[in-house]
Amino acid sequence: MLKKGDVILVVLALAGIAAGFGLIRLGAGTGDGAMTAVIKQGDRVIKTIDLNEVEAPEKLVITGDYTETVLIEKGRIRFLEADCPDQVCVKTGWLSKNGDMAVCLPNRAMIKIEGQSADVDGGTY
Amino acid sequence: MKKSTKKLVLLALMVAQALVLSIIEAWIPLPVNLPGVKLGLANIITLVAIIFLDFKSALAVVVLRTFLASVFGGGPIVFIFSAAGGILSTVVMAVLYKRFRRTFSITGVSIAGAIAHNMGQLLAAGIVMKEAAVIFYLPLLMAAAIVTGILVGICTNLLAEALKKTRIFD
Repeated sequence: MLKKGDVILVVLALAGIAAGFGLIRLGAGTGDGAMTAVIKQGDRVIKTIDLNEVEAPEKLVITGDYTETVLIEKGRIRFLEADCPDQVCVKTGWLSKNGDMAVCLPNRAMIKIEGQSADVDGGTY
Repeated sequence: MKKSTKKLVLLALMVAQALVLSIIEAWIPLPVNLPGVKLGLANIITLVAIIFLDFKSALAVVVLRTFLASVFGGGPIVFIFSAAGGILSTVVMAVLYKRFRRTFSITGVSIAGAIAHNMGQLLAAGIVMKEAAVIFYLPLLMAAAIVTGILVGICTNLLAEALKKTRIFD
Protein backbone atom coordinates (compact mmCIF):
# COMPACT_ATOMS: atom_id res chain seq x y z
CA MET A 1 0.00 0.00 0.00
CA LEU A 2 2.66 2.49 0.98
CA LYS A 3 4.74 3.72 -1.92
CA LYS A 4 8.23 5.16 -2.20
CA GLY A 5 7.00 8.75 -2.36
CA ASP A 6 5.03 8.34 0.87
CA VAL A 7 8.12 7.30 2.79
CA ILE A 8 10.24 10.11 1.31
CA LEU A 9 7.48 12.63 2.11
CA VAL A 10 7.18 11.55 5.74
CA VAL A 11 10.96 11.45 6.24
CA LEU A 12 11.32 14.96 4.75
CA ALA A 13 8.44 16.25 6.86
CA LEU A 14 9.92 14.76 10.05
CA ALA A 15 13.29 16.33 9.23
CA GLY A 16 11.56 19.68 8.69
CA ILE A 17 9.69 19.35 11.99
CA ALA A 18 12.88 18.51 13.90
CA ALA A 19 14.73 21.42 12.29
CA GLY A 20 11.80 23.74 13.06
CA PHE A 21 11.61 22.79 16.74
CA GLY A 22 15.40 23.11 16.96
CA LEU A 23 15.34 26.62 15.49
CA ILE A 24 12.51 27.67 17.80
CA ARG A 25 14.43 26.44 20.83
CA LEU A 26 17.53 28.30 19.71
CA GLY A 27 15.57 31.46 18.97
CA ALA A 28 13.60 31.48 22.23
CA GLY A 29 16.72 31.92 24.32
CA THR A 30 16.76 31.30 28.01
CA GLY A 31 17.17 34.88 29.13
CA ASP A 32 15.78 35.56 32.57
CA GLY A 33 15.67 39.29 31.91
CA ALA A 34 12.52 41.24 31.17
CA MET A 35 9.54 39.24 29.90
CA THR A 36 7.39 41.51 27.84
CA ALA A 37 3.92 40.45 26.78
CA VAL A 38 2.57 42.20 23.70
CA ILE A 39 -1.19 42.23 23.10
CA LYS A 40 -1.99 43.00 19.49
CA GLN A 41 -5.05 43.26 17.30
CA GLY A 42 -4.23 43.31 13.60
CA ASP A 43 -1.16 45.50 13.41
CA ARG A 44 -2.27 47.67 16.34
CA VAL A 45 -0.50 47.09 19.63
CA ILE A 46 -3.10 47.33 22.40
CA LYS A 47 -0.80 46.94 25.33
CA THR A 48 2.74 46.01 26.24
CA ILE A 49 3.35 44.71 29.75
CA ASP A 50 6.44 43.57 31.56
CA LEU A 51 5.12 40.40 33.19
CA ASN A 52 7.72 40.46 35.92
CA GLU A 53 6.45 43.84 37.06
CA VAL A 54 2.79 42.78 37.44
CA GLU A 55 1.78 43.03 41.08
CA ALA A 56 -1.91 42.15 41.24
CA PRO A 57 -3.77 40.03 38.67
CA GLU A 58 -5.36 42.24 36.08
CA LYS A 59 -7.96 41.76 33.35
CA LEU A 60 -8.08 43.35 29.95
CA VAL A 61 -10.98 43.18 27.52
CA ILE A 62 -10.35 43.12 23.77
CA THR A 63 -13.31 44.08 21.63
CA GLY A 64 -13.87 43.75 17.89
CA ASP A 65 -15.86 41.17 15.95
CA TYR A 66 -15.63 39.08 19.12
CA THR A 67 -14.82 39.89 22.72
CA GLU A 68 -11.99 38.36 24.67
CA THR A 69 -10.84 38.73 28.24
CA VAL A 70 -7.11 38.56 28.87
CA LEU A 71 -5.87 37.69 32.36
CA ILE A 72 -2.50 39.06 33.34
CA GLU A 73 -0.64 37.73 36.37
CA LYS A 74 2.92 37.97 37.57
CA GLY A 75 5.06 36.01 35.12
CA ARG A 76 2.20 34.72 33.01
CA ILE A 77 -0.68 35.77 30.80
CA ARG A 78 -3.58 34.05 29.06
CA PHE A 79 -6.84 34.43 27.17
CA LEU A 80 -9.33 33.71 29.94
CA GLU A 81 -12.62 33.89 28.06
CA ALA A 82 -13.69 34.45 24.50
CA ASP A 83 -16.98 34.36 22.63
CA CYS A 84 -15.41 33.27 19.35
CA PRO A 85 -16.53 29.91 17.91
CA ASP A 86 -13.28 27.94 17.98
CA GLN A 87 -11.86 28.93 21.40
CA VAL A 88 -8.35 28.22 20.15
CA CYS A 89 -6.98 31.21 22.07
CA VAL A 90 -8.49 30.05 25.39
CA LYS A 91 -7.38 26.45 24.86
CA THR A 92 -3.81 27.64 24.35
CA GLY A 93 -3.72 28.32 28.10
CA TRP A 94 -1.04 30.17 29.99
CA LEU A 95 1.88 31.83 28.24
CA SER A 96 4.93 32.13 30.43
CA LYS A 97 8.02 31.63 28.28
CA ASN A 98 9.74 33.78 25.71
CA GLY A 99 8.32 33.05 22.29
CA ASP A 100 5.00 31.75 23.66
CA MET A 101 2.04 32.95 21.66
CA ALA A 102 -1.74 32.65 21.64
CA VAL A 103 -3.81 33.72 18.67
CA CYS A 104 -7.49 34.46 18.11
CA LEU A 105 -7.89 34.52 14.35
CA PRO A 106 -11.59 35.47 14.20
CA ASN A 107 -10.82 38.63 16.15
CA ARG A 108 -7.30 39.09 14.73
CA ALA A 109 -6.02 39.32 18.31
CA MET A 110 -2.86 37.84 19.67
CA ILE A 111 -0.64 37.78 22.72
CA LYS A 112 3.02 37.00 22.41
CA ILE A 113 5.87 37.07 24.85
CA GLU A 114 8.96 38.82 23.66
CA GLY A 115 11.65 38.45 26.21
CA GLN A 116 14.60 40.69 26.12
CA SER A 117 17.10 37.96 25.75
CA ALA A 118 19.79 37.87 28.40
CA ASP A 119 22.27 37.10 25.66
CA VAL A 120 24.58 40.03 25.23
CA ASP A 121 25.59 41.14 21.80
CA GLY A 122 29.03 42.19 22.94
CA GLY A 123 30.91 42.82 26.10
CA THR A 124 33.83 44.90 27.28
CA TYR A 125 36.05 44.08 30.16
CA MET B 1 -19.68 11.74 -16.17
CA LYS B 2 -22.09 12.63 -18.95
CA LYS B 3 -25.09 14.19 -17.36
CA SER B 4 -24.38 17.59 -15.85
CA THR B 5 -27.44 17.38 -13.59
CA LYS B 6 -26.11 14.20 -12.04
CA LYS B 7 -22.74 15.85 -11.46
CA LEU B 8 -24.43 18.87 -9.92
CA VAL B 9 -26.34 16.66 -7.49
CA LEU B 10 -23.20 14.70 -6.60
CA LEU B 11 -21.27 17.91 -5.95
CA ALA B 12 -24.07 19.29 -3.80
CA LEU B 13 -24.08 16.04 -1.78
CA MET B 14 -20.32 16.22 -1.36
CA VAL B 15 -20.47 19.81 -0.12
CA ALA B 16 -23.13 18.76 2.40
CA GLN B 17 -21.10 15.74 3.54
CA ALA B 18 -17.89 17.77 3.87
CA LEU B 19 -19.74 20.43 5.84
CA VAL B 20 -21.24 17.89 8.23
CA LEU B 21 -17.83 16.26 8.73
CA SER B 22 -16.22 19.62 9.47
CA ILE B 23 -18.90 20.30 12.09
CA ILE B 24 -18.94 16.91 13.83
CA GLU B 25 -15.15 16.67 14.02
CA ALA B 26 -15.28 19.50 16.56
CA TRP B 27 -17.26 17.15 18.82
CA ILE B 28 -14.60 14.44 18.78
CA PRO B 29 -12.25 14.97 21.70
CA LEU B 30 -8.58 14.76 20.78
CA PRO B 31 -6.16 12.99 23.13
CA VAL B 32 -3.82 15.98 23.09
CA ASN B 33 -4.54 19.65 23.63
CA LEU B 34 -2.93 21.31 20.65
CA PRO B 35 -4.54 24.62 19.80
CA GLY B 36 -5.49 24.85 16.14
CA VAL B 37 -5.13 21.12 15.43
CA LYS B 38 -8.11 19.54 13.71
CA LEU B 39 -8.70 16.07 12.29
CA GLY B 40 -9.52 17.41 8.84
CA LEU B 41 -12.21 14.82 8.15
CA ALA B 42 -13.70 17.01 5.41
CA ASN B 43 -10.54 16.26 3.46
CA ILE B 44 -11.91 12.74 2.91
CA ILE B 45 -14.55 14.28 0.66
CA THR B 46 -12.02 16.51 -1.13
CA LEU B 47 -9.94 13.42 -1.91
CA VAL B 48 -12.98 11.48 -3.13
CA ALA B 49 -13.81 14.40 -5.44
CA ILE B 50 -10.24 14.37 -6.80
CA ILE B 51 -10.27 10.59 -7.28
CA PHE B 52 -13.70 10.19 -8.86
CA LEU B 53 -14.29 13.59 -10.42
CA ASP B 54 -11.69 16.24 -11.28
CA PHE B 55 -9.66 19.11 -9.84
CA LYS B 56 -12.26 21.78 -10.62
CA SER B 57 -15.02 19.83 -8.88
CA ALA B 58 -12.83 19.23 -5.83
CA LEU B 59 -11.96 22.93 -5.67
CA ALA B 60 -15.66 23.86 -5.91
CA VAL B 61 -16.48 21.47 -3.05
CA VAL B 62 -13.71 22.94 -0.88
CA VAL B 63 -14.53 26.59 -1.51
CA LEU B 64 -18.27 26.03 -0.93
CA ARG B 65 -17.63 23.97 2.19
CA THR B 66 -15.30 26.53 3.77
CA PHE B 67 -17.69 29.33 2.85
CA LEU B 68 -20.70 27.58 4.41
CA ALA B 69 -18.69 26.54 7.47
CA SER B 70 -17.70 30.17 8.05
CA VAL B 71 -21.35 31.24 7.71
CA PHE B 72 -22.31 28.72 10.42
CA GLY B 73 -19.56 29.94 12.70
CA GLY B 74 -16.34 31.79 12.23
CA GLY B 75 -16.99 34.79 10.06
CA PRO B 76 -15.12 36.33 7.11
CA ILE B 77 -11.62 36.15 8.60
CA VAL B 78 -11.96 32.45 9.36
CA PHE B 79 -13.21 31.97 5.79
CA ILE B 80 -10.07 33.57 4.29
CA PHE B 81 -7.94 31.48 6.59
CA SER B 82 -9.57 28.10 5.94
CA ALA B 83 -10.13 28.73 2.21
CA ALA B 84 -6.41 29.47 1.80
CA GLY B 85 -5.56 26.17 3.47
CA GLY B 86 -8.24 24.29 1.55
CA ILE B 87 -7.27 25.65 -1.86
CA LEU B 88 -3.54 25.05 -1.43
CA SER B 89 -4.21 21.56 -0.11
CA THR B 90 -6.54 20.73 -3.03
CA VAL B 91 -3.99 21.93 -5.59
CA VAL B 92 -1.21 19.85 -4.00
CA MET B 93 -3.37 16.73 -3.67
CA ALA B 94 -4.72 16.99 -7.22
CA VAL B 95 -1.23 17.37 -8.70
CA LEU B 96 0.14 14.45 -6.67
CA TYR B 97 -2.83 12.21 -7.41
CA LYS B 98 -3.20 13.01 -11.11
CA ARG B 99 0.49 13.24 -12.04
CA PHE B 100 2.42 11.19 -9.48
CA ARG B 101 0.07 8.35 -8.66
CA ARG B 102 2.85 5.81 -9.16
CA THR B 103 4.98 7.49 -6.51
CA PHE B 104 2.35 8.35 -3.90
CA SER B 105 -0.44 6.26 -2.41
CA ILE B 106 -3.70 7.90 -1.37
CA THR B 107 -2.34 8.06 2.17
CA GLY B 108 0.76 9.92 0.91
CA VAL B 109 -1.44 12.32 -1.06
CA SER B 110 -3.52 12.87 2.07
CA ILE B 111 -0.47 13.63 4.25
CA ALA B 112 0.88 16.09 1.66
CA GLY B 113 -2.58 17.67 1.53
CA ALA B 114 -2.73 18.03 5.31
CA ILE B 115 0.71 19.69 5.42
CA ALA B 116 -0.20 22.01 2.53
CA HIS B 117 -3.43 22.88 4.35
CA ASN B 118 -1.49 24.00 7.42
CA MET B 119 1.00 25.99 5.34
CA GLY B 120 -1.80 27.77 3.48
CA GLN B 121 -3.58 28.53 6.76
CA LEU B 122 -0.47 29.91 8.40
CA LEU B 123 0.35 32.01 5.35
CA ALA B 124 -3.15 33.51 5.42
CA ALA B 125 -3.00 33.90 9.21
CA GLY B 126 0.35 35.68 8.93
CA ILE B 127 -1.08 38.10 6.38
CA VAL B 128 -4.36 38.69 8.25
CA MET B 129 -2.62 39.17 11.60
CA LYS B 130 0.31 41.04 10.05
CA GLU B 131 2.49 38.88 12.23
CA ALA B 132 5.30 36.72 10.91
CA ALA B 133 5.72 34.89 14.23
CA VAL B 134 2.75 32.59 13.45
CA ILE B 135 5.26 30.57 11.41
CA PHE B 136 6.46 29.13 14.75
CA TYR B 137 3.25 27.09 14.82
CA LEU B 138 4.34 25.23 11.68
CA PRO B 139 6.46 22.41 13.18
CA LEU B 140 3.70 21.53 15.65
CA LEU B 141 0.98 21.67 12.99
CA MET B 142 3.11 19.62 10.58
CA ALA B 143 3.62 16.89 13.17
CA ALA B 144 -0.15 16.77 13.69
CA ALA B 145 -0.69 16.79 9.92
CA ILE B 146 1.30 13.56 9.49
CA VAL B 147 -0.95 11.79 12.01
CA THR B 148 -4.26 13.22 10.78
CA GLY B 149 -3.12 12.78 7.15
CA ILE B 150 -2.59 9.05 7.71
CA LEU B 151 -5.99 8.75 9.40
CA VAL B 152 -7.76 10.60 6.60
CA GLY B 153 -5.84 8.53 4.03
CA ILE B 154 -7.02 5.26 5.59
CA CYS B 155 -10.65 6.47 5.70
CA THR B 156 -10.45 7.64 2.08
CA ASN B 157 -9.03 4.30 0.94
CA LEU B 158 -11.90 2.43 2.58
CA LEU B 159 -14.50 4.83 1.20
CA ALA B 160 -12.99 4.78 -2.30
CA GLU B 161 -13.00 0.96 -2.36
CA ALA B 162 -16.66 0.93 -1.35
CA LEU B 163 -17.56 3.64 -3.87
CA LYS B 164 -15.82 1.77 -6.71
CA LYS B 165 -18.21 -1.13 -6.14
CA THR B 166 -21.21 1.15 -6.59
CA ARG B 167 -21.91 2.68 -9.96
CA ILE B 168 -22.51 6.18 -8.63
CA PHE B 169 -19.64 7.78 -10.52
CA ASP B 170 -20.04 5.85 -13.81
